[in-house]
Amino acid sequence: MTATDRPLTTLPLGPLHVALEEPMYFRIQVDGETVAGVEVTAGHAHRGIEYLATKRNLHQNLVLTERVCSLCSNSHPLTYCMALERIAGAPPPPRAEALRAVADEIKRIASHLFNVAILAHLVGFESLFMHVMQTREIMQDVKETIFGNRMDLGANCIGGVRFDLDAEGAAYLGVQLDRVAVDVAQIRELYASDRSIGSRTRGIGILPYGDAVALGVVGPVARASGIPFDVRAKAPYGAYSRLEVPVVSREECDVWARAMVRLDEVRVSIDILRQCLARLPQGSLAVSPLPLVPAGEAVTRSEAPRGELIYYLRTDGSERPERLKWRVPSYMNWAALEVMLKGAAVADIPMIVNSVDPCLSCTER
Amino acid sequence: MGFLKVLLNNLMKGPATEAFPFGPPPAAPHYRGRVAFDPASCTGCGMCELVCPGGAIRIDRDAAGLQLTIWHNTCVFCGLCAHYCLSKAIRQTDDWHLAHPQAEKFHLVERGRVSMIPCVGCGKPILPLSDEVMRLAFKGRTTEIERLRRLCPDCRRIASIREMRHAHRSLV
Repeated sequence: MTATDRPLTTLPLGPLHVALEEPMYFRIQVDGETVAGVEVTAGHAHRGIEYLATKRNLHQNLVLTERVCSLCSNSHPLTYCMALERIAGAPPPPRAEALRAVADEIKRIASHLFNVAILAHLVGFESLFMHVMQTREIMQDVKETIFGNRMDLGANCIGGVRFDLDAEGAAYLGVQLDRVAVDVAQIRELYASDRSIGSRTRGIGILPYGDAVALGVVGPVARASGIPFDVRAKAPYGAYSRLEVPVVSREECDVWARAMVRLDEVRVSIDILRQCLARLPQGSLAVSPLPLVPAGEAVTRSEAPRGELIYYLRTDGSERPERLKWRVPSYMNWAALEVMLKGAAVADIPMIVNSVDPCLSCTER
Repeated sequence: MGFLKVLLNNLMKGPATEAFPFGPPPAAPHYRGRVAFDPASCTGCGMCELVCPGGAIRIDRDAAGLQLTIWHNTCVFCGLCAHYCLSKAIRQTDDWHLAHPQAEKFHLVERGRVSMIPCVGCGKPILPLSDEVMRLAFKGRTTEIERLRRLCPDCRRIASIREMRHAHRSLV
């Protein structure tokens, strides 16, 4: 029998533990060891958060949006605050904008290192996985020391930030960044040259440039397919218009390229943090008094670790939002899985799924 | 292979994990742990109750004063209450030891009562002003300010105007 007339087998994958500990269900048609077709079924993590947001006041939603997702937990309240401040006509003071960038880049480093660590775990390189996680642990300690929590920073409030960096805090952050920078340089070298990483990730999960454009993918997935799109550089918000943000992009379009983009972005983030520390503006942390939010609507966007995050907010002058809607990067990125998985070996599925760094709790909310 | 060096280095460093429960459980100084309430500093503004996303804070008001209740099991440790509490009556401690048997889940509560005091002018019950509020509102403390502190808003207004008229008369 030839490959074409052989009956296809349906392989159910998930909804639990494909690559990450989040529920996602794949109905995969396999021809022997090769993937012939994929059908992605989502919705297992739907909690109705957009509805809940309209039942809570503007302050309570700061915390609710922060808990939509764990790895990009700072991007959600940040973009939400940007929308509120645009409606209220109350931009945060320069120091608050710089500190928001600090919080965001700290989260980005931890998020990217986490994804790259999981890649090593899926390759079966457990000692490298532990090593990358231990490097990420430095950032976790930084978060706990500066913000008081390892995941939910609670950095933003309406009109500014809730935390401050004094000289001691800035010096501490500088020292920890130096430690991470040394480790990340070494980790990047390992991912670039290690044979077992290379053989499991190079040439796998290809998303050609044309498909990437057609599917509208964003974030590291787009940048690894030759689309140098980064909201921080294309449409700078907050402090980013005063910072230098080089956009990392690669042409290989495979799993390996996505990991390398993330590792290079960790280095960019470290550099941005150093820029922030070197020229942290003086001044207040938040607008005072608390701005009144009139009726209005606003659309804001920011670069979350997974890509462009868009928030739409409509207020009616009351203390609750009339509508709060957001579009997360994983929505477009996981649609690209159908292109990436076609023709892949069954054993490579977890690696490919992990390479788009899907965030289900954001997407299904 | 480059990784062998990393591996050897990590082996030399020893375990990276904390020794807990056999060693001390370290927490960062600004750790956002269990919420604590100090009734002596509370002004009863109600901002904590308004911003609490989980509804873990409730303020019950009656003629004798107010009672503030915090349910630790509903708290998400976001710290918005402490952030918006200008008189610092609510703060977050570095205590994260909140594990408890199921049977005790309704007892993990913090309560504090703020009692009304009578206005020295008319005797109407008012909520006392804490030292922290006085510090925020006035640069220094004089005997006049201390006297105004124990007056209800109406009596305070009358006393202030009387004071101003007195000063005006002595000027002309």
